[in-house]
Amino acid sequence: MVTFRSVTKAYRNHIAVKKFNLEVQDGEFLVLIGPSGCGKTTTLKMVNRLIEPTSGEILIDGKNVRAMDAVALRRRIGYVIQQVGLFPNMTVEQNIDLVPRLIGWDSKKCKSRVKELLEMVNMNPDIYASRYPNELSGGQQQRIGVLRAAAVEPPLILMDEPFGACDPISRETLQDEMKKLQNTLKKTVIFVTHDMDEALKLADRIVIMRQGEIIQVDTPERILRQPADAFVESFIGKNRINNPALLCVEQIMKTNPVTVSPDCGLAECVALMRRKKVDTVLVVDAQGRLLGGVDIEELERQRSVHKIGDISSELGAVLNNVSGREAFAIMNENRLKYLPVVDKRDRLVGLVTRTSIVDAIASAVWGDGESA
Amino acid sequence: MAKVLDMMQFLDMNDTAIIKAAVQHLYLSFGSVLIGCLVAIPTGIWITGRDKIAGHVLRIIGTIQTIPSLALLGFALPLFGIGTLPAMIVLFLYSLLPILRNTYTGLTSINPAFIEAGNGMGMNSRQLLFMVKLPLAMPVIMDGIKISTVYILSWATLGALIGAGGLGDLIFTGIQTADANYILAGAVPVALLTAAAGWLLGKAEIALTPAGGK
Amino acid sequence: MFNIPLLTLQHLELSAAGVALAMVIGIPLGYIITRNRMLARAVLALIDITQTIPALALLALLLLWIGLGDVPLIAALVFYSLLPIVRNTYTGLSSVDASLIEAGKGMGMTGWQLLRMVQIPIALPVIMAGIRVAMVTAIGIAAIGVLIGAGGLGAPIWRGMQQMDNGMILSGAIPAALLAIITETVMERVEQGLTPRGLRKVVTGN
Repeated sequence: MVTFRSVTKAYRNHIAVKKFNLEVQDGEFLVLIGPSGCGKTTTLKMVNRLIEPTSGEILIDGKNVRAMDAVALRRRIGYVIQQVGLFPNMTVEQNIDLVPRLIGWDSKKCKSRVKELLEMVNMNPDIYASRYPNELSGGQQQRIGVLRAAAVEPPLILMDEPFGACDPISRETLQDEMKKLQNTLKKTVIFVTHDMDEALKLADRIVIMRQGEIIQVDTPERILRQPADAFVESFIGKNRINNPALLCVEQIMKTNPVTVSPDCGLAECVALMRRKKVDTVLVVDAQGRLLGGVDIEELERQRSVHKIGDISSELGAVLNNVSGREAFAIMNENRLKYLPVVDKRDRLVGLVTRTSIVDAIASAVWGDGESA
Repeated sequence: MAKVLDMMQFLDMNDTAIIKAAVQHLYLSFGSVLIGCLVAIPTGIWITGRDKIAGHVLRIIGTIQTIPSLALLGFALPLFGIGTLPAMIVLFLYSLLPILRNTYTGLTSINPAFIEAGNGMGMNSRQLLFMVKLPLAMPVIMDGIKISTVYILSWATLGALIGAGGLGDLIFTGIQTADANYILAGAVPVALLTAAAGWLLGKAEIALTPAGGK
Repeated sequence: MFNIPLLTLQHLELSAAGVALAMVIGIPLGYIITRNRMLARAVLALIDITQTIPALALLALLLLWIGLGDVPLIAALVFYSLLPIVRNTYTGLSSVDASLIEAGKGMGMTGWQLLRMVQIPIALPVIMAGIRVAMVTAIGIAAIGVLIGAGGLGAPIWRGMQQMDNGMILSGAIPAALLAIITETVMERVEQGLTPRGLRKVVTGN
C-alpha cells in the first residue's frame, strides 16, 4: 500500500535517511524502531510530506505522494503525535470532527461519527463530547488523539511515539486498545517507537533502523529468533527472557525428558519413573525418534502387559521452531498434559509440560536468568 | 544644511536655558521616583503574604495609572497650586505601580527552598528579609524602578504646563512659536536622558543580580 | 460652555481611531514576525524606541509636519499604540505550542485554517490585553491633544488651567479619568470573555 523507493533525506551536515526501500502491505501494522537519531521519525514524516525527501519516492497505492496536493494528502492520512496536540480551545467533539468538517461533511454525519468513535473506546459521548482537553487525563487525551486521526476512516494512519508521554499503566492500556482497534479496523498503520516491548507487542512487522538505514525487517518472532547482527541483538536484549508471549518453545521445554526404548519392561519403567520423579515417559527408538508416550496412570491400568512399546500411545508433537504460545495453545485445545517437541527428523528434543510453562513464566516475571 | 546651522546657532545661544531645563527635569523626575521607591518598596514588602490586601492595593494603584496625566495634573492644581509641588506629587503617584508591583512579584516568586533554608538556619524574619529575600528579589525590583524612571522622565515634560519647568518648557515654547529648534532642544535631551537612564539602570540590575542567579 | 458629553464622545472616538489603525498595521505585523526570530527582535527593538519619545514632543513635531487638529493626534496615537499591539500579538501567537501546529499541519489544515481555528483563538486574550493597554494609553495622550488643536476632554482641563478655574479643570478631568477607568474595566471583561473555555483555569478532579 505504501512503497518507499530509495528514499533519502540529507541535511547540510548529516544524512538522516539513506536509500530507504520498503513495501508496506495493506492492513499491516508496521513498526519503525531504532535508537534516537536513526531516522525513523524522519521517514514517517516523509509519508505525509511534513518533511520532503531529498531523493527517492514514496508511493501510496501506486501514486507518488509528491504528485498530490500536500494538504489533501494529509487529510486522507491519520496522524498521531507524542504530545497529542489536542486543540485546547476546542471540545473533544470539535477536535475529533475537525477533518470531517474541513472536507465538508454535514453536521449530522459529523455528530454520529463522533458518537461512534467515542463509544468504540468506551467513553460515553454524552459526557465526553463536550469536555475540553484540559479536563481529561493524559491517557484519555491520547485516546482522543487516536480517534481524531481515525475520524474520516483514512486507509493509512501514521503514529509517532504516540504513547511515549503516557504513564506506564496508561501506556499498556492504550497499547491493548490499539491492538483491539487494529483487529477490528484493519487499517494500515506505520508506527514509530523506541520501545522494543511495544514494538514486539503491536507489530505485524518490525523495521529496525540505525543511522538512517534499515538493519532488519521481519516479524517479531523471527527478529527475536534470528537477529541480523549484534546491534539488533543488543537492542532486543532483555526481551528474549522477559516476554513469555514470544518465547520459542525450545526455551520453555524440558530438555531431558525421561525416555525408554520400546523393549523396556513395565516394572522397569515404573521404577524409572519413580526414581526420576516423573509421571510420563516417552518412547523413542535407537535413533532418538519419537514413537509414543506413556503416563503413570496408563501403566497402573495395564498390569498385564510386558513391554512399553505395546501400550504406548501415539503422540502428537510439535516442531522445535514453534513459539511457546503456540505450543501452549495446542496443549490447551487438546487438553494435553504434555507435548513432546521434535526436530525436523522426528527426533525427540524436549517435552513441554504444564510445570515447564509455569517455570518459564515465573522466571520471566521474577527473573533468574535461566530458561526453563 | 541651513537648518543644521540654524540649530547649532540656536543651541549656542540657549545653552544655559537648555541645561537649566535639563537639570530641573532631572530634579523633577528623580525626585519623584526616589520618593516613589521610598513608599512603594516598603509597601510592596508589607503586602507580601497578605494576598487579599495586596489585591486591593495593586488594584487601586493600578487605577491611578490609568488616569490620563493631564487629568491627574488637573486634580492636583486645585489642591496644591502650580509649580514643582503638584508636578512632583503627580509624578510620584505614577511612579508607584511599576515599583510596587515588581517588589511584590519579586518577593512572592522567590523559590521557597531559599526561604526554607534561611528559616532552617535560624534567621528571624528581619534577617530573612534583608539577607535572603530582598537580594533575591532585587533584579525584579530594579527592573520596576527602571520602568518607572523611563516613564516618569517621559511624562515629566507635562510638568511645564503647570509651571514646574523642565525640558517640557522648551517643547511647549516650540509649540507656541511653531519653532522646531525649541521642540528638538527639549525632545532630544529627554530621549537621551531616557535612554541613558534605561541603560544605567539596566546595568545596575545586572550588577545587583546575586551571582548564583545570573 | 463646554459640551462635556460631546467632548467625551470625541475623546473616545479619537482614541479608538488611533488604536484601530494601529491594530490594522500591528496585528498582521505581529503575525509576520512570528515566522522569523531575528526579524522579530529587530522590529520589537525598533518599536521599543517609540516609548522613549515623550508624547508632548511627538505631538509637537507632528504639529510642525502635519499641522493642527485631529490628524496629527491620531498619527501620534497610532505611533504609541503599535508597541503593545505588536508585542502582544507576537507573544500571544508564539505562545501557541509547537505541537499544536505540527498536529494541525499533519492533519491537513492550511496555514490560514490553523491561524483562524487554533492560533488566533488561543492568542486572543493576550492580543486583547495589548489592545486594552493601547486604548488606555491613547486616552491619556488624547488629553494633551488639545495643545495641537485636537478635540477631546483636554480642552476644558487646559483652558481651566490657564484661567485658574478649578471648576472648569474638573469638568474635564473627572470625565477623562472616568472614561479611562471604565474603558479599562470593560475591556478587561471582554478579555476574559474571549478566553476560550478550554483555556480558562480549570479545577480538575483528576
